Amino acid sequence: MNNLEPPSPWMLSRRRLLAGAAGLSAAGLTVAGLGGGQRRSEAAPRVTITEGNVQPIPIALPDFLGGTPADSELARNMTQVITADLRRCGLFAPIDPAAFIEKVTNSDAVPNYPSWRAINAQALVVGRLRRQGADGRLQTEFRLWDVVEAKYLAGQQFVTTPESWRRIAHIIADLIYERLTGDTGYFDTRIVFVDETGSRDRRVKRLAIMDQDGAGVRYLTHGQDLVLTPRFSPSSQELAYMSYGQGDPKVYLLKVETLDREIVGNFPGMSFSPRFSPDNRRVVMSLQQGGNSNIFVMDLQSKATTRLTDTAAIDTAPCYSPTGDRICFESDRGGSQQIYIMSASGGPAERITFGEGAYSTPVWSPRGDFIAFTRIGQGQFAIGVIKPDKSGLRIITEGYHNEGPTWAPNGRVLMFFRDPGGNGGPSLYTIDVTGRNEQRVPTPSFASDPAWSPLLTSS
Amino acid sequence: MKTGLTISTVGHAALLAWVALLASGLFASRPLDTPPTESMPIDIVSATELSQLRAGKLDAPKAEKPKPQVEKIADAKPQPNSAQKVVDKPEIVSSFAPAPQPPEPKVAEPKRPAEAKVEPKPKEPEKKEAEHKPDPIAEALKQDEAKSSEAKPETEPKKVEAKKPDVKPETKPETKPEPKKVEVTKPQPKFDANRIAALLDKREAQRQAATGDTLSRTPALGTRTGESPQLSASEIDAFRHKVGTCWNPPAGAPNADRVRVLMTIRLKPDRTLAAPPEVEISARDATTQAMIDAAVRAIIQCQPYAMFSPQRYDAWKEIPLDFNPIEMFGG
Repeated sequence: MNNLEPPSPWMLSRRRLLAGAAGLSAAGLTVAGLGGGQRRSEAAPRVTITEGNVQPIPIALPDFLGGTPADSELARNMTQVITADLRRCGLFAPIDPAAFIEKVTNSDAVPNYPSWRAINAQALVVGRLRRQGADGRLQTEFRLWDVVEAKYLAGQQFVTTPESWRRIAHIIADLIYERLTGDTGYFDTRIVFVDETGSRDRRVKRLAIMDQDGAGVRYLTHGQDLVLTPRFSPSSQELAYMSYGQGDPKVYLLKVETLDREIVGNFPGMSFSPRFSPDNRRVVMSLQQGGNSNIFVMDLQSKATTRLTDTAAIDTAPCYSPTGDRICFESDRGGSQQIYIMSASGGPAERITFGEGAYSTPVWSPRGDFIAFTRIGQGQFAIGVIKPDKSGLRIITEGYHNEGPTWAPNGRVLMFFRDPGGNGGPSLYTIDVTGRNEQRVPTPSFASDPAWSPLLTSS
Repeated sequence: MKTGLTISTVGHAALLAWVALLASGLFASRPLDTPPTESMPIDIVSATELSQLRAGKLDAPKAEKPKPQVEKIADAKPQPNSAQKVVDKPEIVSSFAPAPQPPEPKVAEPKRPAEAKVEPKPKEPEKKEAEHKPDPIAEALKQDEAKSSEAKPETEPKKVEAKKPDVKPETKPETKPEPKKVEVTKPQPKFDANRIAALLDKREAQRQAATGDTLSRTPALGTRTGESPQLSASEIDAFRHKVGTCWNPPAGAPNADRVRVLMTIRLKPDRTLAAPPEVEISARDATTQAMIDAAVRAIIQCQPYAMFSPQRYDAWKEIPLDFNPIEMFGG
């Protein structure tokens, strides 16, 4: 992956810039300019703009160019994947290609800005796809232009096997997202979920993995055992899940790339899978002993287990903070199920939720600013977020049954499953942390217990 | 009966007399005499005029074009002489180049009196007079003065000063060609791009605010806190609203609520941008970069700014802006 240089009219060499600066100084303009700036700031007060108009950014994505007809088809598919990613996230409004005035014939040329401004585009993405070498490797490149400011924003080139074209499309969408929103993207990620088939009383539950947009579903288990609550490691393509066979529930670790499976142990009375620490060295879990449940941390290398809580209450569903120094969990030590935070080494816990109803399954955002939870009350299951300092409690979605929130790696989007009840089954949904832009995620059949992977490119 | 008639007559007469007395105003109550209230002069000031109030005194007479308030008459500004200014500064010497020969200090001039005139130092007129002492013409004049009026020695220099205008026409024709000669013979200092900082004038800025052409201590009509000329509140509101509709900051980016984009825009009289907005912060991360881009995009997209009146171009030709999303994203 290489950064693309902007085309020549936009290339200002360092030497040319220095020469320009020297010329200016020689003419004494630099000094005059600085003085002028000082006077200006003293003269007029600043006009402060505090209210903006947050809207999806209109973006034009003409089909990428391909050399041969087959490549053109692939290029068109790739453009569609990028367009769909950007549209689904809710922050962009891809413009209908039928409105385009100009046809892009050269992806290296500086675009004709007025014809893109005329259709109200603020950004433009052009790209090209070529075959390279004898093995037909795919060379893809794209450029992102700011139509309003008439400037080059970003561009990269990728060389991959043709099968990875979808991933390249997601990576390009991530780069566009990052450059225009200032946040890291989440399109080059995968979802592990529990695929459910069959009637409600004879449900077959298999572990499945797919791209975040629902493409490329693969099954990771066969369906003989009941699988529950898969949890992705925040820093590697590895997950932990719980499997109920004949005996006690077993906890497995699964490497997604190789499908290598490792059994962690048999844990009687376990109700949720363990969650990984940010450094991937430990897992934190709750184990039931008699009438109560306590939290334990296990070192994945030595398998040594340390008890973190020792109460007569039910402490369960622990989750690490992204810095790894704190743990949030649910507990009924105060009477009803509420969310608590404690140090990662145990000790006293601080309660952060106080509302009516039962708060459960807390999940700390990868950004650290929010903790997502499920709230059960008055026959409704709601998904909400709260800041670790107890402020900013917000219910994001509410209904008959919403459960199992999981964060996108940038901490801006949540995925959860919703069961409408009746004869239907659960489906996956994504929603912005703001509560806007709810989208159903396509799955081959009913789906529950989603777990969002970290970015594939960073791991 | 007679008695009754008498009583009745007397009684009625008394009643009539009482009524007559009342009618005459002897006991009449006077209406309350309220002095008329002095009417208060009220000017209706529009929001625009209020925001344009000048600094001054509330009771000062209104002048059409008030003079700037000055306490001091400005010193006569010396004639700029570029050739001599160059001489004041030592030539910049690059550390790489061999030290150049010092330039010839001055072209030799046969007449000494003229040389004294070539270097007028505007800042120190007293010193200049001191330099005049050896002037033979002044000496001659002094002798003339001494002869004619036998003045005291202390007053002598003053009189010399008074006579100065007379002296000048005599000496000027001699001195005038001199600066030209200097200009021609001076070698131009070499420009060294590595030593640009040395070119800057490091002298302290001279305060000129309190000086003017004429002395004026009387303040103009205005308020103590007045600032003028400025954009009116309604113009600022309209401008703010319009820019706000075009401003689409990236919502939800990490710490986006803490990124304030400061910039200055320059407008042409046709109310469009004269130059790209001058952003005054640097893009230290992706969020800041996205915030800067969004603000610049808003300013470009929103033009022309039709809310500004063309008559007051000076007030809006340059507008410093602060895009602050804390109220949008905060909390």
